[in-house]
Amino acid sequence: MGNFFPRWSNWLPLKLAIAVVFIAFGVSVGVAYYFTPKYTRVGYEPTQPVPFSHKIHAGQLGLDCRYCHSFVENSSHSNVPTNQTCFNCHGPGKGNIRSNSPKLEMVVKANETGASIPWVKVHKAPDYVYFNHSAHLNRGISCVSCHGKINEMEVVRHDQPQSMGWCLDCHRNPEKNLRPLEFVTNLNYKAGDLTRADFYKGLLDKKIPAGEIATAIAGKGTKADNLDQLLALAEKTYGKQVTQTEVGTQIKKHWQIQPPENCTACHR
Amino acid sequence: MKRIWKHPEEPQNAKRYWRSVAELDRREDFLKNLGREFPEGDTLTEDERENSRREFLKIMGASVGMMGLASCRRPLTNILPYTQHVEWMVPGKSLLYATTMPRSGGATPLVVTTHEGRPTHVTGNPLHPLGGGIDTFAQASVLDLYDPERSQKPLGAGKELSWAKANDLIAAAVAEAKKSSGASLGVVAGATTSPTYLRLLGELKAAYPQVKLFQYEAVGGEGQTAANKEVLGAGVKPFLKLGSAMRILSLDCDFLGVDPVAGEPISAFTKHRAKEAKTADMNRLYVLENRYTLTGGMADHRKPIAASLIPVAAALIASELGDASAKALADTAPAGLKEWIAPAVRDLIDNKGKAVVLAGSRHGAEVHALVASINNALGAFGSTIELLQSTQAPEMGGFAELQAAVSGGQIKTLVSLTPSSLYYDAPDAEAFSKLVAEKGVKLIHVGTQKNRTARHAALHIPAAHYLESWGDACAADGTYSIVQPMIAPLYDGASKIEVLLALLGRKKLGPAEAAAAPAAAGAAPAEDAAYTAVRDTFASVAGGLDEKKWNFTLRDGFLKGSAFAKASAAPNVAAVAAIVAKAKPAAAPTDDSLEVVLTVDSSVYDGRYINNAWLQEAPDPVTKLTWDNAAWIGSVTFRRLGLKEGQHVKITVGGAEIEIPAIEAPGHVSNSITLPLGYGQKGVGVVGGGRGVNAYVLRKQPGTFVLSGAKVEVLPTIAELAITQDQNTMEGRAVYREGTLDTFNKDVTFAQKTGMDGHIPENISFYKGQVGVKSKENPDGFDYETKHQWGMVIDLSKCIGCTACIVACQSENNIPVVGKDQVRKGRVMQWIRMDRYFAVPKWGKNEVAQESTYAVDNPTPEQLENAEMVHQPLACQQCEAAPCETVCPVNATVHTDDGLNAMAYNRCIGTRYCANNCPYTARRFNWFDYNKRNPLIDTKVLGMTVGNLYAGPLGEKKEDESLRLQRNPNVTVRMRGVIEKCTYCVQRIESAKILQKQVQRDSKNFRVPTDTVKTACQQSCPADAIVFGDLADKKSAVVKAKASPRDYQLLKYIGTRPRTSYLARLRNPNKNMPGAENIAVWSNNQF
Repeated sequence: MGNFFPRWSNWLPLKLAIAVVFIAFGVSVGVAYYFTPKYTRVGYEPTQPVPFSHKIHAGQLGLDCRYCHSFVENSSHSNVPTNQTCFNCHGPGKGNIRSNSPKLEMVVKANETGASIPWVKVHKAPDYVYFNHSAHLNRGISCVSCHGKINEMEVVRHDQPQSMGWCLDCHRNPEKNLRPLEFVTNLNYKAGDLTRADFYKGLLDKKIPAGEIATAIAGKGTKADNLDQLLALAEKTYGKQVTQTEVGTQIKKHWQIQPPENCTACHR
Repeated sequence: MKRIWKHPEEPQNAKRYWRSVAELDRREDFLKNLGREFPEGDTLTEDERENSRREFLKIMGASVGMMGLASCRRPLTNILPYTQHVEWMVPGKSLLYATTMPRSGGATPLVVTTHEGRPTHVTGNPLHPLGGGIDTFAQASVLDLYDPERSQKPLGAGKELSWAKANDLIAAAVAEAKKSSGASLGVVAGATTSPTYLRLLGELKAAYPQVKLFQYEAVGGEGQTAANKEVLGAGVKPFLKLGSAMRILSLDCDFLGVDPVAGEPISAFTKHRAKEAKTADMNRLYVLENRYTLTGGMADHRKPIAASLIPVAAALIASELGDASAKALADTAPAGLKEWIAPAVRDLIDNKGKAVVLAGSRHGAEVHALVASINNALGAFGSTIELLQSTQAPEMGGFAELQAAVSGGQIKTLVSLTPSSLYYDAPDAEAFSKLVAEKGVKLIHVGTQKNRTARHAALHIPAAHYLESWGDACAADGTYSIVQPMIAPLYDGASKIEVLLALLGRKKLGPAEAAAAPAAAGAAPAEDAAYTAVRDTFASVAGGLDEKKWNFTLRDGFLKGSAFAKASAAPNVAAVAAIVAKAKPAAAPTDDSLEVVLTVDSSVYDGRYINNAWLQEAPDPVTKLTWDNAAWIGSVTFRRLGLKEGQHVKITVGGAEIEIPAIEAPGHVSNSITLPLGYGQKGVGVVGGGRGVNAYVLRKQPGTFVLSGAKVEVLPTIAELAITQDQNTMEGRAVYREGTLDTFNKDVTFAQKTGMDGHIPENISFYKGQVGVKSKENPDGFDYETKHQWGMVIDLSKCIGCTACIVACQSENNIPVVGKDQVRKGRVMQWIRMDRYFAVPKWGKNEVAQESTYAVDNPTPEQLENAEMVHQPLACQQCEAAPCETVCPVNATVHTDDGLNAMAYNRCIGTRYCANNCPYTARRFNWFDYNKRNPLIDTKVLGMTVGNLYAGPLGEKKEDESLRLQRNPNVTVRMRGVIEKCTYCVQRIESAKILQKQVQRDSKNFRVPTDTVKTACQQSCPADAIVFGDLADKKSAVVKAKASPRDYQLLKYIGTRPRTSYLARLRNPNKNMPGAENIAVWSNNQF
């Protein structure tokens, strides 16, 4: 009886086994990368029915985010403005700016018919996620942390993955994103632009004991009595420039920022 | 070593609480499912399993194929902003409006939660002088608004008509009425307190002087009205001051349940039921009734007597108090009644000025006349009963006058504005509808449902819901409230005020009018005739149309200081004798001649709420029956007839007969049958259509609700009833604690020493978890410094068992309705379970031998007739060491650091381990997609008719658009295959915490203001029995409640450390009463 199987087939099982290992590894890597929001969501940039440019309005003109998204500090939703808001500037009889522009055609029409402009949703939280804008904005988290530099986008793009892991990263280490409340809608803010003296003076003005601030800078046992000592201490710890960690640590401690990590914080 | 845990043996000689006679008898069908969270037959059958496996494979196959495609497509969704800004509207935030639910007994003041213009939830108005909790009917009324089967189009003899045609028909009737100066027109109104409605009726009378006005309510209290008019005077309304009454005797008056008495809210009564210190005063309630009612359950002394004997009992009390006119009637009293009544009356006399006697509103004039005389003798008028002078209503006839007028033949058009359904619930409705047809009377019916009257009327006008129309109403004390619309009419319905305006020729009905009124916020346009009419009334009530006053009234929900003035005249007791003399003494029912008592139903009232699925599925507080009505028969009679649970009986009385399933009702007097009304309506929709049996057919005379001389025939068939009393059992473990005032005074902490509680070792829990307060010794404990710690206390002394909390929870938390078939399988989804236990006082200590088994020591039927009834609401206990959490394989149920047992629905994979491990059986499983697939309808699949849920992908999978509008957007709508349960309304907690963040911004004051978070059940509770709050906030009410000596935890010995605890119930028996020594014999005799 001859050999039914050629000689090379003796190694086939081993080759197969090795191949399976490689394929499995490849699939896992593929899934881990391509099937995550980081890949599927970031970069999503749908065409909107009205070619509204955030770059012009929020960037060049410097409109505050809250001029249009007026309830963002009060409500869970960041509202999309009504036509009346657009017409404050563009409306006939109001600002009348470029009121004949073809780009505004749909807005004018919507005003006549009363039918809403069907804006395309860019950032979509699943139905079982109850995200609340006001809870973040009122506690020192800026728009830019989740939406990116909207003021530089002609068309709004999905900038951050907004996955659960991404949310939790910040909830566990909020220092990286906290900033003084007056800069929350300033999308160009950098911690380095702050004046250290003003920042610490602001904290002292809120009747926070200097000793506590010092402890937050350089750990337990550190003492300070006045602004000068604090400034010296901060410079020694963080260097000449104000850093994000420095600002974030102080805010987290003195505003008692405790980002919830419970299920019920987002799922109800 | 594996530790095997045994629940401590229930002492055989102690008082036991049981839910059903099946449990008491240890019947096989009960034992079979005992201890199974998902009883046999509750899980899928073999067939279902096979089908679902195939379905699974099919779907899996398809989805694997589609996966590649699906994952790279992002569903396109739109954001549709308002084009014009709506005043006060903040997208994502709810808006609250005050309004009022107009009802026959008076206004129920409400606060309505609206989301983007959709009313989703109602609560009582806490600002209103009579505000607070509300009952189930008001709580569930928001669902009626969205009922997809509400009447939507005008009907003419059952066929759809256009609004134009309907308006023409009305115009023709008006023209005819003008010609005959109203003689051809009759108007049947319901009982109402609306000043505008009454004013317009008056104007109708002025415009057409010959018009005939009638008042008809299916279950109105004709006897009460007649007696009050004679004795108290015309237009005088008694107002009960429950909070001042320390001794109350109720003659078949379910004032805590479905027979409310005009007066202070129930919380004024329960305020005097709770006691934290020996010194506090406690009220006492005596009840005489034929069946168990909620009031009977709250009684300190209760005696079941036949409803036919209520007049005799009233006479007996009156003659005890020296009313000679009652002597003759009192002498007919059966043996034993006097022995019970005499000491009770003595107690009332001892508390003169603080005592009151109440009578059921449907009893005859003689009972109410006698009660007026009794209350006069007890000094109740002016102290516990305030007499108020209401504004005069136009003279209206009753049903007898209506019948006479129709047969007289003068009336050509009859307009029915009453919420009752004349062709269904009128006395001898069949004959009446024939009479109307014979005489050629055109019936114009106005109502929200396509009920029998609507379908047979010459013209049916769909009525607007009270949440979509302008109106007004007065509360029991006369406080004036405005009914303001929350939403434009969904189906162009017309309110009753608008119909009256149409009859006066001032308005056309239907959508044309609605289109002319764009929904401008704040003020409705001036041309809205109903709005103008209400404002005119307001102007006369408030003394001038002050815009500021009007706005304040709308905001607060009532006009301050608009209560009725006190009546000047004293009650005319001399009139009593004449009324009593007319009364015919009724004989007590016997074995051959039973009595039938017609009562309102706790789910459908008189039938008007028949199509409300929440109410249908909320178990009856006493029988725990859902989706049906049944004849309640006392144990003695039930067993004498040899009946089985649910067996059909044929009841014949006065020439009419019905066939109805019978259920055994402990605490029910023998030879008496209670029949809840309102069921057996056809064509009203899938929710209520064809359910139950119509008991109205037995009633031939208006105003009679107790029928004597009934015969009962046992039929062989057994009905399939959905009774929840044996579902989700606590396996008979001692979870209910109560004691008498004496026990309490002997040792205020008695409840904490009952059972094993006095001697359980520390830290016995075998469920690991974060427990206790964080401290040096307990570093893993809960943080009370920088976090909230939520907790709840339920006061069993106050809880009346009304199930308003269940419906409130359903409305707030998007809990689906599952339908009768699923309820039978034990799949009811309500997060709160109202456990109702019976207990037999005589059957306890020293009565039975130690070794006896359940089967031997069963109480006799006579003892069952005197059973006590208690209620215990039970939802998730939020255990700190939660047994459910340790068994969840996917961490879908975990603890939050503010002490909640959280439930992440999107993570749950449906193993149901948690439900199996929950000692309180507080978890519910979504067996089907109840929200998407209508469980109430049948679907045709391959020629076969199957329940929609079982039709798989072939079933109808569409949610009713209108029902979706009711959903609370802040709570996930759960899907098939996940567990759900109470989470202390976590959405309310989280939004309160976030609101605090909005306020505090960069400061560190994180704690929400004391007692500002309220759960839905707590808000709805009319008895104020539920306290919820932050345990870490020393000022909060819940901390005070937990400090009560009556505080105890359910199954404390298993160490789950629940955050919900209960306050033991107290009863206040009168030592001189017969049987007082047996009342609330303490559940543990070992102490």
